[in-house]
Order: sequence, then C-alpha cells, then structure tokens
Amino acid sequence: MALKIVGISEIYVSKNPTDELVAHSLGSCIGLTVYDPVAKVGGMIQYMLPLSKIAPAKAKDKPGMFGDTGVPELLRKVCDMGASKERLIVKAAGGSELLDQNNLFKIGERNYLVLRKILGINNILIKAEDIGGNLSRTLKLELSTGRVTVKSAFGGVIEL
Amino acid sequence: MNIRESVVSKVTSFPTLPYMAQRLLSLTNDPEADLSEIGKIVQYDPALTANVLKAANSAFLGFSKPVESLTEASFRIGTNWVFQIAVSSLIYSNLRVPAEGYELSGEDLWRHSLAVALMAENLCSLLKAENAGAVFTGALVHDIGKIALSEFVAEEYETIQKVVTKNNFSFEEAEEKILGVGHAEVGAIIAENWRFPKPIVDIIRWHHHPEGTEEPTVGIDIVHVADSLCLMQGLGIGRDGLQYRCNNDSILRLKLSNDLIEVAFSQVVSSLSNFEDMFTDKPVPNKVRM
Repeated sequence: MALKIVGISEIYVSKNPTDELVAHSLGSCIGLTVYDPVAKVGGMIQYMLPLSKIAPAKAKDKPGMFGDTGVPELLRKVCDMGASKERLIVKAAGGSELLDQNNLFKIGERNYLVLRKILGINNILIKAEDIGGNLSRTLKLELSTGRVTVKSAFGGVIEL
Repeated sequence: MNIRESVVSKVTSFPTLPYMAQRLLSLTNDPEADLSEIGKIVQYDPALTANVLKAANSAFLGFSKPVESLTEASFRIGTNWVFQIAVSSLIYSNLRVPAEGYELSGEDLWRHSLAVALMAENLCSLLKAENAGAVFTGALVHDIGKIALSEFVAEEYETIQKVVTKNNFSFEEAEEKILGVGHAEVGAIIAENWRFPKPIVDIIRWHHHPEGTEEPTVGIDIVHVADSLCLMQGLGIGRDGLQYRCNNDSILRLKLSNDLIEVAFSQVVSSLSNFEDMFTDKPVPNKVRM
C-alpha cells in the first residue's frame, strides 16, 4: 500500500491500485475525491480558497489552490488518464468553520458553494459528503476499490 | 492541590530557554535595536549559526555560491530574513515537542506556530504595522502553554469536550472551566518566567481573547486573527480542532477585507512550504566562518 499525501493546493491522480490518497487536517479547505470504477482511475484535490481572481498568477502556478481552477484541472487530469466523466463518483469533505463564524471570512462555506457550481456546470452530482461544522477531517481514497473514508476527532471513521 | 495549582507549579518548573535565546527574543521587541545586533548574538551560538547558514543555503533561496558567514547572509538575504530564520530556528530546536493531550505531534505544533507567525508577518506588512519583530516572535510562541497543559488536558479531555459541545464554549474556555486555567494563560506564565518582553507576553495571554486586555494592541489583534485563520484552514491543528472563536472587533480594528485575507492566505501557504523545506536536513557548507 502506497500512501500519497495530497497537501494544501495539491492535485494527485493515479491508476495504481496500491495507492491510497490522503488529505490530512481539512479545516475550511475542501478535499474532493473522484473515481471511475470501470477504469479504476481516481484523484484527489485539497483546495484552500474559492476563487482564483484574487491571485491569478498563483492560480497559474498552482491551480489546485483555488476551487474554480483546481476542480476543473482535477477532472481534466483523471479523464486524461482514462476516466470517463459520466462514470465519475465524486465525494467531498471539509468546509469547516470556527465557532459562531458570522464575520468576514466564510471561506469554508464559499469553498463548498464553488464546488457545487463547478460540478453543476459539468453535470456531476456529489455522491456523498461530510461538510461543515467545527471538525478537522482526514479524507482517504483507496484506488483499488474506490472506497472513501473520513476520519475526524470525535466522529471516528465513517465511510462516504 | 487543585488542578490550577498543579498546573501552575508545573509551569514554574518548565524548562528554561538557553540564555542566548532569551537575549535574542528580548531584542525582537526593541524596534530601536540595530538589527545587526542579532548577528552579534547569533554568532556565539554555533548551532544557531549553522541553522541560519543551512537555511540561507536552502534550495528555495537558490544561490549558486554558498553563503558562508552571517554577515554574508545578512547582505544577501537581508537582516530581516536572518532574524526570522534565527528566531524560527531557535523555537524549532527548543520547543518542537509534542502536546499529546491535544493530539499534536511536535511537527504539528511547529507547523501551526510557523504558519501563524508567517500569517502575522504578512498581515503586519499589508497593514504596515509597527514592531513586526515582536509580533513574529509572539506568534511563533503563542501556543507554548499547550506543551505544559497537555498532560492535564489528556486526563480531562472527555469532560472538556463535553463542556465545549453542551455549552457552546470554545476549547480554551472549557479548559478554564475544568482545569481552572487555559493554555493561553499558562503560556503567558511561562513567558513571564522566561522574562520575555511584555508585548510578547500579552500576545500569548490574549491570543484567544483580545477583548480581555485593558491595553489592546495591533500585535494582539494580528496574532489573534492570524491564529484564527490558521486554525480555520487546518494548518497544524490537533483534536481541539476549529473549536475557537474569532473576535469580530479585531477584524474591524484591523480593517481587514475578505480579499486581503485571501491574498494573505495564498502567500502564506507558499512561504510555509519554503520555510519547512529550510528546516529539513540539508548539507551545511564545509567552510563555516562565524
């Protein structure tokens, strides 16, 4: 089993059945997994901010930093590796916020809204998700089976 | 002895920082201090000098000819950089210990502290705030209380977490209720024992509750917001997770906009990975002059 850590702003795609992709400590970041069960190709992104317009140069260099550049890039990469967009099973976790967060930076919520919008444009539905709250989560995708799990401090491990 | 008394007695026996470290950290609070003074202190500590040179020669800065002395490092990368590397290296060597009660490894705690320091520095520069040296250092040590409080949190974790969930307390408020003292106050007591300058002690003490101080400063507001942002983003966090609050008045006082915060985020994540690379093992140039 080879553990591939997908850090903040990173995108990783694979068709190696021994790979497990992991995004640790998701707070307001969104971790997204995509998996084609026929081609057995999968990928993961951990993006931190919703829109790339605040730093276009950074987005060019690291598209995985933003939802609006990273999610399309992830879809492109898995399709280039042989996945079919129609068959993709998409699952998401993260988008947490601090307690009583009603001030300026609703980044978690906005990260999630951007995800819904981009997947909507691509006619893709989210199959399962674990979003919001004040939790820190670890998201894992097993390439051999497409199994996706989320581990959190007081929720234990759940399968999405 | 009640829990608060046990905690405080443990804190007074908390290991002291080396004398050089105390001198260097004290200097960070003096905006009048000639920054080259820092070099004079660093040069008497071979391990610190080696770390600064190692960092200055890291792949990230990409010099073709190795930097071999502190003077050269100051000249090439700027004294401010040398200062930041020296202080970070000092904290890295002395305070990279786990806080198991929070399920934080030494690396996690270090990563969180560094992220908050870089975020605070970024906000200082965007807001043109004064005394950025003390803010950077205060941010780097804001969670030292977690190291000392860790074993008590481990024992009472279930009860603390229950109070958070039931009463909508922040994790720190629940620590205070159950243990009689929270990690911010514990950190401030340690920093006072180490004779840290008052602005740094105040940053540590009020980093979760800037409304508590009678003397609000930009530094306290900046570190509070920087910490909130890094917790929210999940940068080096433990099982206390995102169960903290960000004070809206701090955001208003700093006049922070959404865009400004997001720009700061995008910059901090890049510099965080560069800084982390600097502290991983890289060869030190053979001819080290001090």
